[in-house]
Amino acid sequence: MAGNDGRGKKRIKLRSGGSHEGLASFLMLLPAIIFLIVCSIYPFIWIFRYICYNYNGFTATYTGAANFERMLSDKTFWMSVVHTFEYAFYKLLFIIPLALIIAVILHTRIMGSNVFRGVYFMPTVISSSIAGMIFTFIFATKNGILNSVLQSLHIVSSPIPWLTGTNVVMAAVTILAIWGGFGNYMLYFTSGMDSISNDVYESAKIDGANGVQTFFYVTLPMLSPVLKVVLMLAITGAFKDYEAIMVLSDGGPGNRSMVMFLYIYRMIFGSATSTAAVQIGYGALLSVVAAIIVGIVTAIYLFISRKLDDVV
Amino acid sequence: MKKKLLSSILAATMVVSLAACGSASSDTTATTTETGDTQTAEADTTEAAATTQTASGDGITITMWTNDRHDMDYIQSAIDTFNSTNTDGITVEFQTVTDNYANQIQLAYQGGTAPDIVTGNGSDISINNFADTGIVIPLNDYISADEEYQKVNDPYNHMYEGYNVKDGNIYSVYSGVRSGVRVEYNTSLITEEIPSTLSDYVALAQKVTDEGAGQYYGIGLTSSGPFGRLLEASAQMSGIYPYDYVNGKFDFSGFKEIVEAGKGLVAAAYPDQQGVDNMRALFAEGQFALWSNASQEVSVFTNQIPVTGFEWGVAEVPTLDGTVKGALNMVPQKGYYILSSSPNQDAAWKVISYLQSEEVMKSYLENGYCLPITDYMAGIIDSSQTGRMVDFATQDYEDVYPPTPSINLTGDDYGTVLWNAVMGYVDVDEAIEDLNTRYNEALEADVASGTVKRLVIKDYDPLHPSKGTAEYLSE
Repeated sequence: MAGNDGRGKKRIKLRSGGSHEGLASFLMLLPAIIFLIVCSIYPFIWIFRYICYNYNGFTATYTGAANFERMLSDKTFWMSVVHTFEYAFYKLLFIIPLALIIAVILHTRIMGSNVFRGVYFMPTVISSSIAGMIFTFIFATKNGILNSVLQSLHIVSSPIPWLTGTNVVMAAVTILAIWGGFGNYMLYFTSGMDSISNDVYESAKIDGANGVQTFFYVTLPMLSPVLKVVLMLAITGAFKDYEAIMVLSDGGPGNRSMVMFLYIYRMIFGSATSTAAVQIGYGALLSVVAAIIVGIVTAIYLFISRKLDDVV
Repeated sequence: MKKKLLSSILAATMVVSLAACGSASSDTTATTTETGDTQTAEADTTEAAATTQTASGDGITITMWTNDRHDMDYIQSAIDTFNSTNTDGITVEFQTVTDNYANQIQLAYQGGTAPDIVTGNGSDISINNFADTGIVIPLNDYISADEEYQKVNDPYNHMYEGYNVKDGNIYSVYSGVRSGVRVEYNTSLITEEIPSTLSDYVALAQKVTDEGAGQYYGIGLTSSGPFGRLLEASAQMSGIYPYDYVNGKFDFSGFKEIVEAGKGLVAAAYPDQQGVDNMRALFAEGQFALWSNASQEVSVFTNQIPVTGFEWGVAEVPTLDGTVKGALNMVPQKGYYILSSSPNQDAAWKVISYLQSEEVMKSYLENGYCLPITDYMAGIIDSSQTGRMVDFATQDYEDVYPPTPSINLTGDDYGTVLWNAVMGYVDVDEAIEDLNTRYNEALEADVASGTVKRLVIKDYDPLHPSKGTAEYLSE
């Protein structure tokens, strides 16, 4: 009984301590919550105000469901959604395996691995707009570096119109995205691998596992929680990319590289090359639709990938 | 219990923030939709601002914003002179704001931090928005009381409905004009005269490309608004315009021939279509022979990207059949607007009157920042000082087209779509049908909802579009 009493007292003490801790946690979270509300939730709600309006920044006219009807029949927007999926597919197809392979190689502590890690990470810290400008020169049809290299290696006989060819522009956009993003994911994977205990690798070694077996049966399963997060970040990131595309191809040629957030940006902020007025109301509606699309994709991914957490 | 408490606090925080934000946003809505109330509210704000300014010292500070960078140093030096010589205690603070200019002004106006004066070229300051919302004030009274200003700037003969004028109210007076598009060409690569028909022009471009054999090309095309750099100008001079002013609707059917001719230009063009400055640099390097742009190229090819390896010539834009049937659009430059929120509007006018005085304007025009818009200034300036600007002198067939209704268009604008047709990404007939449908559907919907008014000019003359009588209809 005494023991029970003791446990009871202890429980009460804990509860009382927990209450203080809860309050402290809440107070510590409060600034972040306020910032979240002001900087994220409120702007999102602000958008909803204009989805039924024609709003050019000066005058707002209520138009009922007109924006919604326009959205349903807006071929350019729906093509931009298709292009977004295409872009995300290509990007993820290459960037995740590449980042993982590089991370595994660098994790073996080969000579100069820290230097390589820095070099591979460097594109991440370069502004995507600047990268877009630089790649404009790299992808130039005449005197472009990429075409010169491909021609000197006899891979192609005539220069490829990377930025003016509708059949190759997505490849150009994807190359830029991979160059700019894989260092970041590589770093996530490297950090994840650093947290895997050496004991596991030693056990595998004692059991006679070779490098490939170690990767598939030790590293990859142990990395799965990290992989789940990285994949989710990569998916949402790929769906929201537009800055570098705006500078590199501006959605062209013939809207072939137009992705949905670039289209929305043009609606809300206008375009230097367009004579059309800004359409904040319609852009607001498209933002909501885009958010729903990204949300659905993320939810499907989380459903499919729910087992990745259970591996460890 | 703890969870309930946390949820309640969270909910309360959200409600409070949303309510606070909601009230702020209601105010914003009021400023954007109820023009009359806005002005009253703003007047209160400006009174407060005036009190602050007067209390801060004896002098009056006038803030001026511009989106022009090319003449920034000249305007700053003129302002420095004004600041040190004026006897009214006025000090002008001059700022350059180039990104999202119109939106920045509107946001500053709503936030009570707007400047006293803003400048604008063409329709940078969209008068239908800025005048309707009461952000800028009419200058009629100031102008009518200032005879010297009238002599130099000839405001009553340069009233462009929808640009600087609305319903008889003059909101700004332009200091000059940017010419319509001209052809600039490399005289080392082209020794013959530039053809007057578009088909011969295409043939010339192809001939130079063939001669170049991959070393140089006939023509350069940019990725930045390519349709407007030559083909749209050619269409205008051929009497083809996207808007039917007489019937008050959009009509793109005349563009088919222009698009077809454009395909020949693409075939003869330098392989890359890059940004304007990149293409200018390639022209200056002799990589292609034909380029086209307006009078800003004088400053570009003289100072910014100097052409040193060859002489560059200037010629008129070719038309479909070699005759001019419509006006070439030119853009009026450097209008000065006074904001209704300014507590010192009289002082602001004094600043404008100085910056558009004969002394300042003469030197401004002789420096080649733009072409004179008035006969008086054209007669006063020493054209030997303006350098190559003389090659871009205003032609009889140049005029300012009244701005077409600013509609809420679904999808791409006509410049993009017609260029896509030139490039072969879409069929030209389908492109024209699509543009006619989308533009007119948007126009009808916006007129019906009251977002825009239909512009009709019954006595429209394609060679003098600004001279007609504009009517703005609600149906």
